[in-house]
Amino acid sequence: MIQMPALDFESSLSLLKRHGVRFPDYGVAKSPAEAARMAKKLGYPLALKLISKDILHKTDVGGVKLNIADEKQLSKAYSEIASAVPKSKLDGILIQKMAPQGVELLVGGKMDVQFGPVIAFGLGGIFVEIFKDVSLRVCPIDKNDAREMIREIKGYPILAGARNTKPVDEAALVELLVNVSKLMMGNKITELDLNPVMAYSNGYYAVDARILVP
Amino acid sequence: MRNLDPIFEPKSIAVIGASHEPGKIGHVITKNFIDGGFMGRVYPINPNASEILGLKAYPTVGDVPDKIDSAVVAVHAELVPSVLQQCGEKGISGVVVISGGFSEVGNYKLEQQLVDVAKKYNINVIGPNCLGVLNPAARNDSIFLPMYKMGRPKVGDISFISQSGAVGGCIIDLAARAGIGMGKFVSYGNASVVDEADLLDYLANDDKTRVIVAYIEGVKRGRAFMDAAKKVTAEKPVIVLKAGRGKAAQEAAKSHTGALAGSHEVYSAAFKQCHIIEADGLEDLFNFSKILDYPICSGDRIGIITNGGGTGVLAVDEVEKNGLQLAKFSESTREQLRKLLPNYANATNPLDIVGDADSNRYEQAIDIVTKDPNVDFLVIIVLFQTVGIDSRVVNVIVKAREKGQKPIAVISTGGEYTEFHRRIMDSYGVPTYGSPEDALRSVAKFVGYCKAKKPVK
Repeated sequence: MIQMPALDFESSLSLLKRHGVRFPDYGVAKSPAEAARMAKKLGYPLALKLISKDILHKTDVGGVKLNIADEKQLSKAYSEIASAVPKSKLDGILIQKMAPQGVELLVGGKMDVQFGPVIAFGLGGIFVEIFKDVSLRVCPIDKNDAREMIREIKGYPILAGARNTKPVDEAALVELLVNVSKLMMGNKITELDLNPVMAYSNGYYAVDARILVP
Repeated sequence: MRNLDPIFEPKSIAVIGASHEPGKIGHVITKNFIDGGFMGRVYPINPNASEILGLKAYPTVGDVPDKIDSAVVAVHAELVPSVLQQCGEKGISGVVVISGGFSEVGNYKLEQQLVDVAKKYNINVIGPNCLGVLNPAARNDSIFLPMYKMGRPKVGDISFISQSGAVGGCIIDLAARAGIGMGKFVSYGNASVVDEADLLDYLANDDKTRVIVAYIEGVKRGRAFMDAAKKVTAEKPVIVLKAGRGKAAQEAAKSHTGALAGSHEVYSAAFKQCHIIEADGLEDLFNFSKILDYPICSGDRIGIITNGGGTGVLAVDEVEKNGLQLAKFSESTREQLRKLLPNYANATNPLDIVGDADSNRYEQAIDIVTKDPNVDFLVIIVLFQTVGIDSRVVNVIVKAREKGQKPIAVISTGGEYTEFHRRIMDSYGVPTYGSPEDALRSVAKFVGYCKAKKPVK
């Protein structure tokens, strides 16, 4: 298999933010004391995530702790993540405001050999691998394409407000897709995952990001 | 855009590698030009013969005293670059290279030599490693398969491009048997010079082509293909069968998106963005192309006339399944139908004109229903097994097709007698189907294309 280097987490996030992708507020802590300071500023509940260039699937090594409610839990979570990997592989720990639960979506990108940058949209989180419910387009896309992509997936009724739930903010998702398309067109990216993206009746949050570069 | 007229409509053609021996490809091609009634001049090229199949032969194209528009090359791969150079020196701008033995067997160097010569002399090369070109209207036939083994379709306006020679041969043979008229056919093989994007561009501007059908294993230039396809589909429908649903790329992927956006899925997305109609199999190519030969459809409301209740119900199921609407007949239509039908029949859609219907009743029912403003498309079910039905119903339907008030499709399920009548209708441009499934799926593609062609609100 060809090894593709992943862009480090902070660079990924800053690249995405420059393209208007919204994330819950965050900071990167290098020590427990720094983590505590950031937590105070951000406010609880928080999510803690391992940052390491060498580890692609951070959940698999116990590198993700969610719903941290107070300082005590924070210090416990911090030391657990820090001890999960050798010190040399630990680049820091992401202290991120917990995004409220929304409809979990996936927005992604890929460099296709024949057609160049491609963008994907679908149900995210744990549903990705089970339902494989995604729509694809060759970039660049405009707002109409984005709207079509959103409405094309089988799970669309979930977004449109099934069973008395409020519909998600389609306009915000359209903007997100158009922005990711621009990002794919303007940068050399092999693969990109925003998963999950939490969609709300008002706005969205990209919770996790992974970018692979050539 | 490449000018491919010399390839499709040459006035004079050289067969390089023409041969005396019946087993040789160069023999079959020369013979096909003669037997097929090619109206231009044919020059067999062979350094070891002075005459082939009654035609004067020349050692090289350079020895021919007249102007030559196009050449078909069927010589050993190693000889192709030098032969191509001779074509260039002679001023031939369109060459079909039948010969195999290039990149498809790993001989990239030889193919590059071919490309270099083509560039130097500005030659549009089809192939190498291809089946040839067919243009029934010009009686131009460089397909190297003998006529007694593979039928040739009548003149029509559906054009086919095929990356594979084998699939291309099947397409021609099936089209000939089904009575489907063909505009132009080209098997483009390795596409080393002229590729699918070039062919789409050319056929887009070809006023003798109304529908384009393509068999593709992989495109050479994805973006150029999309640009060309977008332009064409605004004018005429393009149907594509994409083969090779490779999984290798997906296995190598590291992200979710990488795994989900496999090569075939990306092709499908690209097709959708260009309003290309994707076919699921070879049969689809014919099912879809013959209905897309209609110029336009006003909407998705389907009227159904049948002489068999059950088949009518099956058709209604398929209307729903394919996202179409069952038309609601107007009051005036119902009034007229009540007068026409026996009192035990219902004047509703699907209109069952019952088992004793004959061609007269069909004629009147078709006339009434086509005039209904609530009907966009008419599906006529004719079960030929019944006592009242004979060949006369074919005339009725063909006449209705020629009047052209509403697009029509026919469903006739059955054996040889049925198939015989279907073929007649198909050859008069009435799309016929052997089942409600095939018919309504095809109608849906047609309706969908017409909708996409209209400006998006």
